[in-house]
Amino acid sequence: MKSALKWDVIAKCGTTKARAAVLTLPHGPVNAPVFMPVGTQGTLKGITPDQIEGLGCQIMLNNTYHLGLRPGQELLDTCGGAHVFQGWNRNLLTDSGGFQMVSLLKLAEITEKGVQFESPHDGSLMLLTPEHSMSLQNSIGADIMMQLDDVVSSLTTGPRVEEAMWRSIRWLDRCIKAHKKPESQNLFAIIQGGLDPALRKQCIEEMVKRDTPGYAIGGLSGGEEKDKFWRVVSQCTDLMPREKPIYCMGVGYAEDLVVCVALGVDMFDCVFPTRTARFGNALTATGTLSLRQAKFKDDFRPIEEGCDCIACKSYTRAYLYTIVTKETVGCHLISIHNTAYQLRLMRQVRESIIEDRFPQFIHKFFKDLFVEKAAYPEWAVNALKSVNVDLIQGENQP
Amino acid sequence: MTSPLKFQIKQTSAKPTRAGESARCGTFALSQSNTAGTDQQHVKRTIETPGCLMYSLKGAVPHLTPDNLRQQSFGGVNVSLEQILQTDQPGSFSRWPETSPIPQFTGSKFTLAEYLRLQDLITFCDLRDYSYAAENFRHPTTPPTRKLASNTDNHAVLSTPKGIRQLTLDDYLKTVRHYRPDVVVALADTIAETTAPNEKRVRKSLERSLKWLDQILLERAGQDGTIEDRRAEEEKKRRRERKEKRRSAAAAAKAAGEQQEQDQDQDQEQGAGTSKEKEEEIYIEPIPTEPWTDVGLFAAVGGAHLEESRIWSAQETAKKEGVDGFVIDTLSLSALDKDARLKHVQTSLDHLPADKPRLLYGLHAPEDVLEAVAMGIDLFDTSYPFQLAEDGRASLYYYGPRPAGQDKSNSKTQRSINLWDDEHGDKFVPILEGCRCYACKDNKHTRAYINHLLKTHEMLATVLLMGHNMYQYSQFFILVRESIQDGTLQEKSTAFLATFGKEPTRTLEKHPNQIIVEAALQKRNQRLEGAEEGVVGVIGMGASTVNTPSLGAAVGAHAEDVEMEDSESKSKKRHETEEAGEDGGAKDEVVEKKVKKAAVAESSS
Repeated sequence: MKSALKWDVIAKCGTTKARAAVLTLPHGPVNAPVFMPVGTQGTLKGITPDQIEGLGCQIMLNNTYHLGLRPGQELLDTCGGAHVFQGWNRNLLTDSGGFQMVSLLKLAEITEKGVQFESPHDGSLMLLTPEHSMSLQNSIGADIMMQLDDVVSSLTTGPRVEEAMWRSIRWLDRCIKAHKKPESQNLFAIIQGGLDPALRKQCIEEMVKRDTPGYAIGGLSGGEEKDKFWRVVSQCTDLMPREKPIYCMGVGYAEDLVVCVALGVDMFDCVFPTRTARFGNALTATGTLSLRQAKFKDDFRPIEEGCDCIACKSYTRAYLYTIVTKETVGCHLISIHNTAYQLRLMRQVRESIIEDRFPQFIHKFFKDLFVEKAAYPEWAVNALKSVNVDLIQGENQP
Repeated sequence: MTSPLKFQIKQTSAKPTRAGESARCGTFALSQSNTAGTDQQHVKRTIETPGCLMYSLKGAVPHLTPDNLRQQSFGGVNVSLEQILQTDQPGSFSRWPETSPIPQFTGSKFTLAEYLRLQDLITFCDLRDYSYAAENFRHPTTPPTRKLASNTDNHAVLSTPKGIRQLTLDDYLKTVRHYRPDVVVALADTIAETTAPNEKRVRKSLERSLKWLDQILLERAGQDGTIEDRRAEEEKKRRRERKEKRRSAAAAAKAAGEQQEQDQDQDQEQGAGTSKEKEEEIYIEPIPTEPWTDVGLFAAVGGAHLEESRIWSAQETAKKEGVDGFVIDTLSLSALDKDARLKHVQTSLDHLPADKPRLLYGLHAPEDVLEAVAMGIDLFDTSYPFQLAEDGRASLYYYGPRPAGQDKSNSKTQRSINLWDDEHGDKFVPILEGCRCYACKDNKHTRAYINHLLKTHEMLATVLLMGHNMYQYSQFFILVRESIQDGTLQEKSTAFLATFGKEPTRTLEKHPNQIIVEAALQKRNQRLEGAEEGVVGVIGMGASTVNTPSLGAAVGAHAEDVEMEDSESKSKKRHETEEAGEDGGAKDEVVEKKVKKAAVAESSS
């Protein structure tokens, strides 16, 4: 199908499956690997678009489900889409809306037609079809839009998983057909198949035939064992076309990002950094600081030494302790810091790939974060070993 | 003593046509010698007067991060001690580091401005948050208690975010020596009652304030200001001891000389001069004190609604050498209407020297500012634009001729609009055509978008509204200053009132849409609370690492999406589960590791 993106791989890691690339989208270039902050309702938690841009963010997420409810499709059409609506001139990615319905609404029922759910407004029954999702996402105008998929929990087993996989393929076809702006918006397919390698393989084969501009690994991050999670990711990146961007949905913990990049993933999103910020938790290379804790009241260091975000440039942990979770400014500052942290991490990852020292970066990253090897998560050790990085033994290897 | 501040009146009202019109334009800045040591990065701003100090909560201007704050042109910030003095926090003087703990400033004094990142702004420190002098003023996060226990000769009572606190003169002096703000208001016994105080109470408050002012002035000059207090204390103690001694002696003697003893006792009570016990000899060692002549000192003048007291307070305070400016108290006038309050403000002003700046709280709506400016008030604060933003309101008022391009967006000549109103939902126009604030400029953020942000309970709503309202307030002040200079203040003030009428009295009622949205949010939070407690229970991490839902709620309703249920919370839970691993056994282990990791990382860094 038509594509409105350009995918230029500029460097490949000599050891792992990681790669550095430039993804050129209708609203400008995106340096991959990339973390995309989530602005659910057309805004990123009290941060202005100028501030987000100032952090170097090139692409942000919006949620179709939320924007579809408010401001609604009609208003989005009137004003010319979500970019204009929120004053954001860089790229946007929207999900299909299906995940929210299934996960948020107790009474959602999935049929071949689509996802049926109770309107949160008046309780009436509503139906989200692949056609409707495309129509909404066309109105939003996101640079990358996601197909409506049949989402099942990653803990589900049995025939339901296979059913969801095949239905997602059928829905992809309907999405492709309903997509009205393939020349300015990129539709990504979502690989399903649960934790079953055979189903994943089948799904990839079918979806690759549809030749969408990019692919996402879906149906993960739902509470499955991390050791199963990474195996699915790695299997998928092996089977997916290497000349297209690969997006792993809902991943955002620092160690998960680093491991998944090594497994060959290019794009990530997660609400975690901004959500945890509102509870006063600041992310750093050496772990999370819970700034509500009294131990910070006399700590006159910035959140993170060397961070150039406005929170770290202006305030000490001691002062932040007095305002986090109390003043909105406290929330804004930690949200800005956490977003800066995530983006910086990805920049560092990318630079190390370009300079072909990504394995060394990984070693240092884990050492900074977990201090002792005994504390390294076993799944991460296993995952990295699969791409020739031995966290325990191989520190001195090139 | 040369003043650390420089207040220059450039021009007084060109046409003082109306009785008592004494508006003036000027600049309020730090004196040259005082800024000499400041590093080049942080050049202090100047406040053009009549002008404003920015209103702050816990030392931060509400909703504006330091970068967004710098988009405003106001030259100073008002930080109230009761907002930051908390026993367990670094703002408390007992925990204040002597020298800067921040590497780039090592060796230099650690100041409040450095702590609050206000080095480029005039930092003005008052005791209390006097915004309650305005009708129905509302704090979104930490509602202070207005009426506190009574002040005494020894302390004033403050309402800190963590409870009531007594501030003694000693505490006050320590705080000033630590904080080194650019301006501090002298400790005063301010009357916070909502009913009119009686004459005795007013007299007492004024005497107390004046005594404290004397002591503070001595201390600022490096002299022991509390020596007389200690002498009085010592005298009292000795007298008590003597009495004790005599009583025991009398008891021991059990003699007929009882009558004589009593006579002696009376002698002593009558006068120190005739005493045989030589009370004169009491020597009190002066405590060497560190001067703080780099800090400007403002004094409060009050007197409540009693004209004589107001005159007396102003006259007595004006006599003090070294007072750099005055705060005109209106908190004790709360029982009166605006006009009556302004009349009493006038009384105070009539007896203050013209060459020193005067600050007024609580009368902050544009037409009140115009009245106060005409009387000769120089400084206000920005509690007005803040309060509007809290209500979802955006300013449209203008002063003087209607700015070009405004006809479209302000066709009904409204003073403000409420963006909670449904009618703005589809208005893809800026709040105010031609406005240069961050939201309006280039039509970046429309009324429809802000309406959306309010209804989805997104914090960006108040960020944008605060920025806009602050910007408009600063524009208003610029035009007011111009009108003083060209002699059109009175004319334009009259026109303003004719166009916009009086600010409707603020009520605590919420907009119907806000009520709906907050109810939905509360419902959702309750559900989440249960769910998250479950998570805490399973993981057993305790409160230190797991998010406490009530704290999320404490950030004000803004903190969360209002969506029936939103993806964030779910995803968060996903992460919690993820973090906890799959089976019960692994959970605790993984979590323990995480906690340990965090602890190790902390202690090692």
